[in-house]
Amino acid sequence: MLEVQNLVKAYGDLRVLDNVSARIENGRILVIIGLNGSGKSTLLKVITGILPCDNGCVRIDGQDVTSLEPEDRKIGYVPQSTALFNHLTVRENIIYSQKNGRGSPDGFEAVVSMLNLRGYLSKKPKELSGGYRARVALARALYSQPSVMLLDEPLTEIDHAKKEQMLPEFKQVLHQLNIPVLYITHDPREAELIGDAFAVMYDGKLKTIGTTEEAFEIIRAQVLAGAGIA
Amino acid sequence: MAGNLMRKVSLIELLFVPFFLLLIVYPIAAIIFNLTPAGIAKTFADPLFWTSVGSTILTAFFAALMGLALALGFGYYYIFRKGTVMYRVADFLNDLPIALPHTVAGLALLLAFGRKAFGFAGPTGLAFTLFAVTLAMFFVSYPLAARTIASGADEIEREVIDVARTLGDSTTRAYQRVVIPLMGEGIISAFILSFSRSISEFAAVIMFGGNVPGQTQVLASYVFTKVEEGEVAMAVTASAFCILIALFLVVGLRMRGKFHA
Repeated sequence: MLEVQNLVKAYGDLRVLDNVSARIENGRILVIIGLNGSGKSTLLKVITGILPCDNGCVRIDGQDVTSLEPEDRKIGYVPQSTALFNHLTVRENIIYSQKNGRGSPDGFEAVVSMLNLRGYLSKKPKELSGGYRARVALARALYSQPSVMLLDEPLTEIDHAKKEQMLPEFKQVLHQLNIPVLYITHDPREAELIGDAFAVMYDGKLKTIGTTEEAFEIIRAQVLAGAGIA
Repeated sequence: MAGNLMRKVSLIELLFVPFFLLLIVYPIAAIIFNLTPAGIAKTFADPLFWTSVGSTILTAFFAALMGLALALGFGYYYIFRKGTVMYRVADFLNDLPIALPHTVAGLALLLAFGRKAFGFAGPTGLAFTLFAVTLAMFFVSYPLAARTIASGADEIEREVIDVARTLGDSTTRAYQRVVIPLMGEGIISAFILSFSRSISEFAAVIMFGGNVPGQTQVLASYVFTKVEEGEVAMAVTASAFCILIALFLVVGLRMRGKFHA
C-alpha cells in the first residue's frame, strides 16, 4: 500500500504540492489527471525521493520512507520520456537493476513475455518505436520487483489509436503485480482506459473524484477561472 | 552580374574575411612559407628536438589524463552536489587558471611544490622535472576539461539518472554506469582539448618545469630557445611540427562524433 500524507513542496512562494494526501491499496491503479504544471510530476518525484519534500510523509507498506534515498525505496518509476539507457541493449535495460541485487531470471522471462519484447532484446533503444520504448521502460521497472509503480505519462510519444490498444494490455500487466500503481496523465480518455480510481490535480492540490468526466469539469473550471472568464 | 554579387555580401562578411585572413591564416602560413630544406634537415638531425617532441607528447598525455580524471570528479559534483559549498568553490576556481597570467600559475606551482614546501623530494622539490612540466600543463588545461565535462553532463537527460537511482543505483554508481558511458563524446572532447592546451603551454611550464634541453624542454620552449640562439630556421621547423600536431588534434576533435557513434 502507498500512502502520502500532507505533502508540501514549494519553490519560494509557489506551492507546487499543497498538502497532498492519497492512499492506494495493493492491486489498484490510481490515475491522477491534471494539466501541465499542476504538480503531477513533482508529486511522483517526491514519492520516488528524487526531490525532497518540505513537509509531509510517504509510506510504503506502512514504512515511512520519506527520508530514504531513491535507491532504497523499491519504487518502479517510468518517466514521461521513458529515459532508457541508450548505451545498453533492450535486454541490458530490462535487467539493469540486477546489478543492484534486484529481479530474477524468471522475472525476466515473465516481463519479456507479458510485454511482447522477445524479438527486440538485442536492439538498442534508438532502434525502437515510441510504443516499444514505453514497453521497455515498463519492463525495466517491473523487472526490479518494486513495491510501488509510478508512471508519469509513459505513452506521451504514442498516438491515440495505439494507446487504445496498449492501455488495456498495460492495465492487465499492472494488475498482475498486485502492488499500488500511480499513473499520471493529462488525457481523460487515457485515464479511463487504465484507471481503477481517479483524482484530479490543480494548483498543487489533489482531489479524489469518481469519474474522469468530473476531472474534465474541474480542469475546465480552473482554466476558465484562471483566464478570468468564470 | 558583379553588382548582384556585391549586394549579397554583407558588411559582416566584408569585415570578417580580411581580418580572418590577415590575423589567423597569414601568421600560420608565414611559418609554412618560411620552412627551408636546410632548417628541416638541421632540426630533424638534432636529438634535442626529438627529445622535446617525446617530452611534449608524454607530459601532455599525462596532464590530459589527470585533467580528465579531476574533471570527472567535478562532473559528479556538477550533477549530484550542486547545492554544496565544495561545488561552488570548485566551480568558481575552475575559471581562475583561465584568467591568471600563466607566469603567475607557474610561480604558484613553484611556491607550492618547489624546494621550500617539497624539499624532501629533491634539491628543487618537484620543480624542474618532467613531473613538474606535467603538473604545469595540467594546471592550465584542467579548467577546459571541467567545462567540457559539465557541457557533456548537460546533454544527458536528467530523468535517465533519476531512473537509475530508482533501480537501486547510488549516486556514485549512477555516475559510473550511466553518466560516464553516455558522456562518451564529451569525455573524448575533454581529453583532446586538455591535451591540445597542454601542448601549447609555455609560461607555466618554463616557470615550474624549466627549460633544460634534453630533460624538461618541450616543443614550445624548444622554439623559444632556438629563436634566442638565432636559429630561426630550426624554430620555424619546430613550429611547423607543432602546427602539424595541432592539426591532428583539431581533426580528432572534429571526428569525435563519428568515432563515438
